[in-house]
Amino acid sequence: MTADTGQIRASRLLLWYPRGWRARYGDEFAELLAAEFAERPRYFRRSLDIAASGLRARLAAAGLNEHPLDRGAAARASLGVLAWCGAAFLLFGAAMWSQLAIGLQWHVEDHSGLNIAMALMSAGLLAFGVVAVAASCGLIRATIGAVSRGEARPLARPALTALTGLVILFVGGRHFANAWPGTGGHLLWPIGHVPAWAAAFGWATTMWITSYVAHPGLLAAFPATQLAWMALSPAAIGLLVTGVAGLASRIRHSAFAMRYAKWLFKTAVGGMILFLAGSLRWMASAGAGSLGGYHVGAIDFAGLTVLALALAVASHVARTARLTGPAER
Amino acid sequence: MEKPTSPAESSADTDGLETLGRSSGPASLILSSLADGAKHGYALTKDIESFAGVRLAPGTLYEALSRLEAHGLIEAPESSDRRRPYQLTAAGAAALATYLRAQRQIADVGLNRLASGWAMS
Repeated sequence: MTADTGQIRASRLLLWYPRGWRARYGDEFAELLAAEFAERPRYFRRSLDIAASGLRARLAAAGLNEHPLDRGAAARASLGVLAWCGAAFLLFGAAMWSQLAIGLQWHVEDHSGLNIAMALMSAGLLAFGVVAVAASCGLIRATIGAVSRGEARPLARPALTALTGLVILFVGGRHFANAWPGTGGHLLWPIGHVPAWAAAFGWATTMWITSYVAHPGLLAAFPATQLAWMALSPAAIGLLVTGVAGLASRIRHSAFAMRYAKWLFKTAVGGMILFLAGSLRWMASAGAGSLGGYHVGAIDFAGLTVLALALAVASHVARTARLTGPAER
Repeated sequence: MEKPTSPAESSADTDGLETLGRSSGPASLILSSLADGAKHGYALTKDIESFAGVRLAPGTLYEALSRLEAHGLIEAPESSDRRRPYQLTAAGAAALATYLRAQRQIADVGLNRLASGWAMS
């Protein structure tokens, strides 16, 4: 094997590792690999070992694994992952909840199981929404603090990304909420504690989470503007969450902010558990088809899987992350 | 070799190497290898292979090195060579001593029991 070929192989293998790791260990690791290649040119287990180790380093850099990064980097990475988990939970939860709200608007039935399910889901989503607002306030405060310290430059891009996503989502969501199928439904719905604007906005912003994607023929019958919104809204949500996660992972958080984040996370977990309990109750109650067209379908099971995964990953991150101490050395 | 005298902040120096998780096995081999002087990655691999009969794969080796460095048990002095050498810190020496004493105790108990029960020494 020539030196050039060895360097190319080493460069490729180094790609398994995150950028920060490569910056610190890349040169010496490439030297070790060059010596290894000279001694054992073909050794499959070496490639496997590097791939596994590189993936663990990537998980660590993303705050998903115990890792040797400094505490500040670890805490920031963990906050970014928690933001993504929270967003996934909120989205799929809102999609499930708003669909159920529509179903209950049109199919009023004296079914205590469904009422309990809806009450649990609403309470869970409310708790989660309060946490999201409180987390946003904390993030805005930390961003303002960073700007006043003259650290605005690295925050400009994620802030602009988040703002763009938020504006698109708000304007589009408000517009398409007018077409909410729940409008005109039964006015004396047994629980009656779900504000229609919230259900309509939740439905409009999560319209793309639908089983219609598995039925292109039916989907094609949708108005073009609605189809465009179904493509644009997830992109806007992606921008919003990317921006928020970027801000959370770039700001230097104080010890107080990390304690605040931990407290918010505990509250959010309470909301997640309530919501999951409600959705399970709904699935158990609606199994007999008592909600007509809004019966439990594959999309709801997929949603439930996402909710459970988001909760599991967030709990894992919160357990391994050091969110209690000062984030910076 | 010049020995560092300032102990680094570490929990591993008092708890042995268990805090290093999955890297604790390779870490003990690396620390043992560095006990007689600084070495770079390839030299570590060869030395460990010679005294332990185990060849650490590159990914495993550097995963352990990065953890040991983060815990302040080893350090990499500035070097113009691309093959950066690593050396033991005072905390690393203490952690290795704690670990090896515990291992020796286990070995002594096992050997004594083998000698009395199986007539092996």
